[in-house]
Amino acid sequence: MLGLIARRLLQLPLIVGVIYTLTLTLAWAVPGNPVENDEGRRPPQAVIEAIKRQYNLDSFGRFYFSYLDNATGLRWTRDTLSGRAAQQADQARAAGEAAPVRRVFDFGPSLQYDDWRVNQIIGDALPVSIALGAMAMLIAVFVGVGAGIVGAIRPNSLADFATLTVALVGISLPSFVVGTTLLLVFSVWIKAFPIGGWGLGQMILPAVTLSLPFAAYIARLTRMGMLEHLGADFIRTARAKGVSETGIVLRHALKNAFLPVLSYLGPAAAMAMTGSFVVERVFTVPGMGQHFVNAVLNKDLFLIMGVVLVYSTMLVLFNLTVDVLYRWVDPRIE
Amino acid sequence: MGRLLVPIALLAAVLVAVVAADRPAPRADFVFINRGDISTLDVQKASWMQDLRVIRLLFEGLVRNNVLDRDYTIQPAAAERWEISDDGLVYTFHLRNDACWNVRGEAVPLTAHDFVFSWRRAILPDTGSDYAGQFHLIRGAREFADWRAAQLDEIETLPAGPARRDRAAALWALTERTFDQMVGLRALDDRTLRVELERPTAYFLDLCAFAVFYPVYPPLVRQYDRPDPASGRLDQQQGWTMAGVLVGNGPFTLESWRFKREVRLAKNPLYWNRDSINIDTISIPSSEDANAQVLAFTSGGVDWVSDVTPPYRRHIVDRKKQFYNEHREQYQALVARGLDPIEIDRQLPPDPRKNIHTFPAFGTYFYNFNCQPKLTDGRDNPFADPRVRRAFALAVDKRRIAEQIRGTGEQVAATIVPRNSIANYPSPAGLPYDPPAARALLAEAGYPGGKGFITVELLFNKDAGHDVIAQALAKDFQENLGVSVVLAQKEVKVFRQDLKSQNFMLSRAGWFGDYGDPTTFLDLNRCDDGNNDRKYCSPRYEALMDRAAAETDPLTRLRILAEAERLVVEEDLPMIPLFQYVQVYLFDPHRVSGISSHPRQQQDMFLIDIIGDGKGAEVPRALPPLPPADDPRRVDGPVSLFPGGSAASPLGRARTGGRACSA
Repeated sequence: MLGLIARRLLQLPLIVGVIYTLTLTLAWAVPGNPVENDEGRRPPQAVIEAIKRQYNLDSFGRFYFSYLDNATGLRWTRDTLSGRAAQQADQARAAGEAAPVRRVFDFGPSLQYDDWRVNQIIGDALPVSIALGAMAMLIAVFVGVGAGIVGAIRPNSLADFATLTVALVGISLPSFVVGTTLLLVFSVWIKAFPIGGWGLGQMILPAVTLSLPFAAYIARLTRMGMLEHLGADFIRTARAKGVSETGIVLRHALKNAFLPVLSYLGPAAAMAMTGSFVVERVFTVPGMGQHFVNAVLNKDLFLIMGVVLVYSTMLVLFNLTVDVLYRWVDPRIE
Repeated sequence: MGRLLVPIALLAAVLVAVVAADRPAPRADFVFINRGDISTLDVQKASWMQDLRVIRLLFEGLVRNNVLDRDYTIQPAAAERWEISDDGLVYTFHLRNDACWNVRGEAVPLTAHDFVFSWRRAILPDTGSDYAGQFHLIRGAREFADWRAAQLDEIETLPAGPARRDRAAALWALTERTFDQMVGLRALDDRTLRVELERPTAYFLDLCAFAVFYPVYPPLVRQYDRPDPASGRLDQQQGWTMAGVLVGNGPFTLESWRFKREVRLAKNPLYWNRDSINIDTISIPSSEDANAQVLAFTSGGVDWVSDVTPPYRRHIVDRKKQFYNEHREQYQALVARGLDPIEIDRQLPPDPRKNIHTFPAFGTYFYNFNCQPKLTDGRDNPFADPRVRRAFALAVDKRRIAEQIRGTGEQVAATIVPRNSIANYPSPAGLPYDPPAARALLAEAGYPGGKGFITVELLFNKDAGHDVIAQALAKDFQENLGVSVVLAQKEVKVFRQDLKSQNFMLSRAGWFGDYGDPTTFLDLNRCDDGNNDRKYCSPRYEALMDRAAAETDPLTRLRILAEAERLVVEEDLPMIPLFQYVQVYLFDPHRVSGISSHPRQQQDMFLIDIIGDGKGAEVPRALPPLPPADDPRRVDGPVSLFPGGSAASPLGRARTGGRACSA
C-alpha cells in the first residue's frame, strides 16, 4: 500500500507537468491581449509594455519557467533556504514598508481582477466548490445506489423501468434546464429556498442539480453490478443458509456491486468539487467553475494556469484516495 | 459493509467542516447587484462604472455632484468651500476640519497633502491610470509625466552596473522634488489645497467630483507603492484594497470583500456627515446570470438590480407600458406636471409591474467608419470620402432599431453627446433618415445606385443583440443605397484587435461619458486620442476644439463645442450615432428612495433610504419636476435653462462646523 502511494505521488509532478505544458501552450495561442480590458479605456502603449515585461508576458519561455518556479514552491524553498526572504523582509521593515507577502505556492496576480492574487481567488472559491461537490456526491450516492438496488431487485419491472428512465433523463437533460426549473419551482413559486447570498439553504438546489448526472450514472453502475452478483453462486449459498433477503441485498450483493461505484467516485468527486460553470451561473454560486471559462475568455493567464494546476492535482490525489480505499475495502485487489 | 460507509463519511465530514467554517451574514439594509464584479478599488486605477460606484462610498473627494438635481450641481464634500481666481486658472480648496480618515476605528485628519499624494499617484506614468489624461489639465502635469517616463527609459538603456543602480536608487527622491517644482499642485497648509490649471477649464470642479480624483491614505498606500531599486520604477503591490487593510474617508467602510461573492459595507461612524445616512449596511452580492438576478429581486433578496439584461427584459418593460395604459389618464396628468418618472410611479397605485425602470443613460451606441485612405488589405477606402459616410448615415432607419429591435425605451440618437445630459449644451440637430438624399449623395460621390461600390463589411462583437442591429443596418444599406453588405461577427478580443489596427470598414462601438462636459464624448474624434479607432482627423474639428479649450466664457465655450459636434454629426460623420443607451433598473419605488433617473447615470448609494424601515427621513426623494409642458424650451432646449428647480440638497441635514477630526 505504501509503495502504491509513493509511486503515485512520484507520478504526480510528471502528470501535472504535462497538463501544465499543454494548457499553457494552448492558452498562449489564444488571440487577444491579456493586459487590456474588453471595454473601457486603453492604457498607453508604454504602460502595456511595462506590464508585459513585469509579468514575463512577452516571452513564452520566461513565463513558462518563472510561473512553474513560483507555483510549485521551488522559489519559496530557495528563498527560505538561502536567507534571501529574511533579508528582504528586514530591508522592507527598515524602509518602513509592508514586508512582501510570501506564499509557498504562488500562482501570481490575476490580470483581470487587479486587486486580487490567484491564490486569494482560489482560496475563496475552492471551499465553496468543495462543499457543494461533497453535498452533490452524497446525494448522488444515496439516490443512485438506492435507485440501482430497486431496479436490480425486480429487473424489467415498472420500478426498474421508471428508475432507468429517470437515470436517462438525469444524464441527458442539461443542467441549466434542470437548474432553472428547480429555481423557478422551489425558490420563486414555493419559496422553500432563498435566492442570492451563500449558505446551507442556498446550497441544496444547486447540489441536487449538480448531483443528477452523477446519480444517474451511479444508478446504472449499481444496477448492473447488482444484477451480475444477484445471480452469482455465493448469493445462492447465502439464500440456502437462510439469510434474509435484505441481508442478501445489502450485505452480500451491494458490497460487491459498490466497487465500480467507488472507483467512479474518485474522478466524479474531483469533477464535482472543482465546480460547474453552468450550475454556478444559474444559482449564483461563488465557486471555481466560473474561473475555468471566464479566465480563458479574459485570457487571464495566471488564473487559467492556477485553476488548471489545482484541478489536475486534485484529480490525481482523488484517484489515489479512491485506489487506497478500494484496496482497503476489498483486500483481494492488488 | 462498515468499510463501505467510509467514503460516504469522508464526504459528509468535508461538507460539515466547510459549511461550519463559513457562516453567512444577516441581510444588509440595502442589497444591490452591481453592473458587474468589482475589478479594483484602487482609486487611481479604477475605470469601470461598478468600481467607481463603490469607490464613491468608501472615499470622498473635494466636491460631489448632486445626482438628485437636474443640473447635477456641485456640492461641497471634503472641501467646505473654494475660491476660483478671476482668470479661472487657480482653484483654492479649503478642507473641512471634521473630514477624517477612519484608520481602523481611529480618526486621523484628512489633509491637503493627502490630495497632493493621491493626484501625483494618478499622474505618475508608473501607475498606468486610465484617467491620467484628465490630470493633465493641471499645470505641468503632462510635462512631469513625460519627464518621469523619459528618466525611466534612460535608466533602462544604461548598461547594468553600479552607475545604473545609483541612478535608479536616486530617482524617487528626484521625482518628488521635480513634481513639486513642475506641477501646479500645492498644499499651502494642512487644510488648504491650491491647484493651478493649464488653461481655464469650466468643468474642473466636475472632474474633482469624479471618483479618480478622490484621495487615498498615504501612510497605507506608501507601504505598497515601492520604488524598485533596480529600475527606479514604482513597484505597486496589490493588497491595500482588501477589507481590514483599506483606509477610507467616505460615508461607508469596507467590512468584507469576498471575491466574486459579496462586498459588504457599513456606515462609517467617523464620517463627518454620518447623520445624513439612512442605512447602516450595504451588501453587493456577486451575480452574473441575468435571470438569477431578476429572480433574486422577485424573491425579495435584492433591493436594486442595476443592470437588467435577461432575454425577456423587453417583456417586463412591455408589461409596465401595459400598466401605464391601464392608468392612462392619471399617468398622463402626472407626466404633464413634469414629474420625475420615479415620482410618477410612486403616485400610481402599487403594482409589481412598476418595479422595472428604464432611464436614458450617459452613453451612445454608434458605428465607426474607417476614415483612412486605404483599407488594411491595400484597397482604396471609399469611406475616406465624407460624402459616402454621410450617405450611409442618411440611409439608416434608426427609429426601427431603437423602437422595434431594442424596444426598451431607447431614444434615437442623431448626436454623439446624449441630449439634455449636460446643462446649457445646445446639441446640434444631426442628420435625419432620408434615403433619397442618401442615394443622391452616393451618386455624387461616384457610385450611382451603389454601382462599383466594394462589398461593405460590418464588424461587430459577438454579444447579445449586436447581430440583429448589424442585420438591420445591412438591410438599410442594401435597400436604400444598393450596395452589398456582409456581416463579420468576431469574438471580443479579436474584435478589439481589428479596431485598433483599423482592420474594418464599419464597426460597432459604444461610449459612456465620464464627466459632465461634452469633451468626454467629443475628444474621441481628436486626431491623437487613444480611443480614436476611426482615425478621423480634421483640421477644422481640431481648430474648434482648441478654440473651445481656450475660451473662458462657459456658455460661449459650449456653443463652440456644439459647433464641433455639428461638424462630426452633420458633415463629416466619422461615426453614425444610432441610439442613446438606457439603464434598466429593478427596484420598488415605494420602498427604495435615492436612486436618480438623471441621464448622467451616476448613483450614490449614500443617498439611499429604505422607506418603512424606521431609519432616516423616510421621505421619498426624486428629481424636481420639469418646467410646464407648454414651455417650448422644455423639448428642445437643455433642461438646465431653468435654474432654481431644486434648492434642497440631498444631504439636506449636512452638518457644518462639526467637531474637528483630531478631537
